[in-house]
Amino acid sequence: MPSIDDVTNTPDELSEKEADTLLEEADLVQDMRGEVCPYPQVEAKKGLQTLSAGELLVQETDHVPSTENVPKAVENDAEASVWRGSDAIDRIYLRKR
Amino acid sequence: MDSTLPVAAIVGIGLGVFLQKGRFCFVNAFRDFFAYKDTRVTKGVLTAIILTMVFWGLTYQLGYHQELWTPKWGMTGLIGGFVFGVGMTYAGGCASGTLYRAGEGYLQFWLTLLFMGGGYASFTAIFPTLQSTYFAPLTIDNGVSLFAISPIPAGFLAVLIAGAVVLVYAALTGSKAANNGSPERATTKTGLLTVIAPITGLQTFVSDTRTYLRGLVHALRTPVASSKRPWDPRSAALGITAVAVLWFVQVSIVGITGPEARWTGYLISQVGINAASFEYWGSILFQGQGIGITADMVMIGFVIIGSFLASLWSGDFSLRIPKRRRLPNAVGGGFLMGAGSRLAPGCNIGNIYSGIAELSIHSFIASVGIIVGVYVMTHWIYREVGCAI
Repeated sequence: MPSIDDVTNTPDELSEKEADTLLEEADLVQDMRGEVCPYPQVEAKKGLQTLSAGELLVQETDHVPSTENVPKAVENDAEASVWRGSDAIDRIYLRKR
Repeated sequence: MDSTLPVAAIVGIGLGVFLQKGRFCFVNAFRDFFAYKDTRVTKGVLTAIILTMVFWGLTYQLGYHQELWTPKWGMTGLIGGFVFGVGMTYAGGCASGTLYRAGEGYLQFWLTLLFMGGGYASFTAIFPTLQSTYFAPLTIDNGVSLFAISPIPAGFLAVLIAGAVVLVYAALTGSKAANNGSPERATTKTGLLTVIAPITGLQTFVSDTRTYLRGLVHALRTPVASSKRPWDPRSAALGITAVAVLWFVQVSIVGITGPEARWTGYLISQVGINAASFEYWGSILFQGQGIGITADMVMIGFVIIGSFLASLWSGDFSLRIPKRRRLPNAVGGGFLMGAGSRLAPGCNIGNIYSGIAELSIHSFIASVGIIVGVYVMTHWIYREVGCAI
C-alpha cells in the first residue's frame, strides 16, 4: 500500500497505479481542473476543515501555480506532496495534521 | 512603425516567455502575501521593478529613451486603481497574467480578455460624460516623472532609491528574524535591535542572492533541461528587465491595457463601426492618426505567442476548460479590469511595473489604489477561511 511519503515530483518514481491507489484511499477528492488561483487554495483550506487529523485530501489540478501555492497556503494545516502526472493533470496530496 | 516591428516581436515574445516561465503574476504577488505571507512571487515583482528603474534611469539620463508615460495625477489613480485591483483579484489574473495564461491555453482568460474589451468599450461610450463628472473634478495636476524634475540625475536617483528599498527590505526581514521565536522581544523592542535589524537583514539579503545566483549558474550548466523547468521569478525578472530596456530605448514604456483598449477600437472598426468618431479612441488612444495597428498592439499580441511557445516547450500547454461556476469571475473581473484600467488610467504593468520604474507621480497613486483593491478583494475571497494580514 503506497503512502503519501512515496509521492514525488517525478511520475517515474511513483507509478500511475500507485498514485491511483493513493487517490482511491483519499477521504476527500477535489476536482480543481480548470480552476485558477486562489480558488484551489480556498477550497483546500475549506476541505481540510471538514477532515480530521491524519485524513487525506487530494486535489486534481491543471493549473501549475497551484502545485506551488496550495501546499504553501495550507502548510500549517497539512503535510503536502505533489505528483506531476504525465497528462498535464497534477495531483496535490494533503495529509491533515 | 515598420522599423519597430521586429523590436515589437522580440520584446513581446520575450515578455511572454519570461512571464510564463516565472509564473510572474501580480495578483499572486500581493494576494498570497496578504493571505498567508508568501513572498516568493512578491520578490520577483520587486526585483523586476527595481532593476528596470535603475536601467531606465540610466538610459533616460544618457538620453537614449523614447518617451515617458505621465498621465495627469489625482484621485482618479486611486479610484480607478482600486476598481482594477478588485477586478484582477476576482478574475484571478492581472493584465499581464491574463495575456500569458491565454497563451497557455486557459479558455477562462480568453473570456476575461473579451470582457476587458467590454470594459474598454463601455468606458469609451461614456467618456464624454466622465470627462466633466470624473476626470475634471478629480485631477489635481499634470503628470510628471521624478526622472524629469529631480535635481539629481535620473540614473543616480534610481540607484539611490534602489539602495533605500534594499535597506528597508533588509530592516523588515532583519527585525522579523530577530522577533522570531520570542513574542516578548517583539513588544519590548530595544533601540539596539532597530539598529541591528538592517544589518542582519542585509546579511540575509546577500546570502539569499548568493544562493539564488549559485542556483542560476548551476541551472545554466544544463540549459535545455533547466529551460523546461519552472523558473525562479527573479530569473524572469532579469529577462523582463532586459526586454523592457530594449522597448524603452526603441519605443516607450511597457503597457498592456492601453494597447488592449486600442485593439478593442480597431476590432470594433473592423465590423463597420466608426471607432474614430468616439472621442476616446479617435483623439486620445489613436491621437487623431486614424484607427490602425500600432507597434505596442503588435507587441502585446506577441506576448500571447511567446507564452504559447514557452508553455509548449515546457509541456505546460493544454486547453483548460473553466468550470461554469467560474464564469462570473471572467465576466465581472474582466469588465472591472477593463473599466478600472481606463479610469485610473493604466493597469498593473503600466502603473506598478513601468510607472514606478519611471517614477511617475500618477503611478505611485494608482499603485496604492490597485494594492488596496487586491487587499479588500483577497479578504472577501478568503472570508470563510481567514487571511493572515
